[in-house]
Amino acid sequence: MFKELDPILHSQLRLAVMSLLISVKEAEFTFLKEKTNATAGNLSVQINKLKEAGYIEVVKQFKENYPQTICKITPKGIDSFEAYVVALHSYMNPNG
Amino acid sequence: MGEATLSPQESLHLIQSMITKTRKDMGDNTKHFLLWGWITFASCSGQFILKNIFEFEKHYLVWLLVIPGAVISIFIGMKDEKKRTATTYIGDSMKYLWMGMGISYFVLSMILTRMGWGTNVFPFFMLLYGLGTFVSGKFLQFKPLVYGGLIAWALAISSTFFNYDYQMLFGAVAILISYIIPAYMLRSKNKATQY
Repeated sequence: MFKELDPILHSQLRLAVMSLLISVKEAEFTFLKEKTNATAGNLSVQINKLKEAGYIEVVKQFKENYPQTICKITPKGIDSFEAYVVALHSYMNPNG
Repeated sequence: MGEATLSPQESLHLIQSMITKTRKDMGDNTKHFLLWGWITFASCSGQFILKNIFEFEKHYLVWLLVIPGAVISIFIGMKDEKKRTATTYIGDSMKYLWMGMGISYFVLSMILTRMGWGTNVFPFFMLLYGLGTFVSGKFLQFKPLVYGGLIAWALAISSTFFNYDYQMLFGAVAILISYIIPAYMLRSKNKATQY
């Protein structure tokens, strides 16, 4: 039985951001931009979508007089990511 | 990277590649291990040489090497902090473990000196090396550090059968086995997985 894939996560850039954030405590916008090779504009849009879904927290602050955006996965984000991976496995092993 | 939707295989591949990218980035934490490994190794063996070969009365002064060591360590730490764009739970755990270990070494030295047990310092130091390296090995899932910790504990007990002079050498061997060799192994493992 195929499980439905979460449409928020089933998008290349949002999934990449969530995969990066699941492996760290928190990450700066610049880290996510460098690892995903996305443009700043597109990344901002996708980060906002994840934030609106409650999957990540975004904190804007200053570090040595420069603006800094820090992203962190939320418990809801972790649950959704895990459910997404389980759903993916149902597609990979439909009889499993 | 755009808004394109993915096949399940592509999704799993993407998740795996992002997690691998993060792991590679967080891998190099051996600088402090090597710095402190060599400083403490030089201090232990230097003290042994000064005391037993040169018969220098204030042989313990060699431990003043830890002062420039601390300055260099703080400098490297601040430089790395500026460059850091992501933090991990393991990175934070390692940082606080070794900060706590450093403070424990200092407190233990004060206690033993105040109590007149200064000549029993090395087995206790090895006990702490053992704890630090064992826990670090478990955090990093790197067996040579875990084994290094176990060996340091065994050396801590064994050293009590010898006098103070030889306990310094046990200390040097414990550092070589529990810090320095595993740190070089970890560094080469990190380099090998980066390409």
